[in-house]
Amino acid sequence: MTDHGSHPDSDGDHRVGPRVPARHGSAPSTPRWVRVFGAVVVVLVLVLVVVHLAGGGMGNHG
Amino acid sequence: MTMSPRTRKVALTAHVASSVGWFGAVAVFLALAVSGLTSHDAQRVRAAYLAMELTGWLVIVPFALASLLTGLVSSLGTTWGLVRYYWVLIKLVITVLATIVLLVHMQPISGLADMAAETTLADSDLGALRIQVMVQAGAALLVLLLATALSVYKPRGVTRYGWRRQQEQDEGSQA
Repeated sequence: MTDHGSHPDSDGDHRVGPRVPARHGSAPSTPRWVRVFGAVVVVLVLVLVVVHLAGGGMGNHG
Repeated sequence: MTMSPRTRKVALTAHVASSVGWFGAVAVFLALAVSGLTSHDAQRVRAAYLAMELTGWLVIVPFALASLLTGLVSSLGTTWGLVRYYWVLIKLVITVLATIVLLVHMQPISGLADMAAETTLADSDLGALRIQVMVQAGAALLVLLLATALSVYKPRGVTRYGWRRQQEQDEGSQA
């Protein structure tokens, strides 16, 4: 799930992962790309459900 | 729990290999689905659907499960975590959903292979199912490509849980 190959961590560094500067104060808002991604997923799921309900699904599962 | 560099590389190698294998096997599956749908040669059609069942159960499903498992190990064994960053979380959701959809849809694919083994499929037999199998293989390739892109680009974004963990670590290091 995670590819750390492109990360500039050294072989001797046991603390592998992102080095994001700490941010104090309020929690960060959800990034725009996540909101767009979520909206696209919702639309696709709705389309799939409609297609299945309309009888164009995979037929009898099992 | 953070893995040692050596263990991390073993886990990462296993994850990349299984993910690449999953992608490649789905590409083969798509090629077989196209061949099974478009060919007018009865023997070729039969061979395509029989090979699709074998490819699905013996290659795609094991690679999907291995990719999910090694991904969990790789993320939990590093400070990326599983739910600290949006791209890791979304990739997890994609992988879990893709694996579930795969397992659900393997049953009708086995039925298609059984029918191809027992009878000679005419061009019109099971047309909707054959088209749908092909479309879903193409969609699966796109989804796996998206998951790969997330791993490469690692778009920014910390979840609320990840932000709280950062705060706790900062407070711990300052104490």
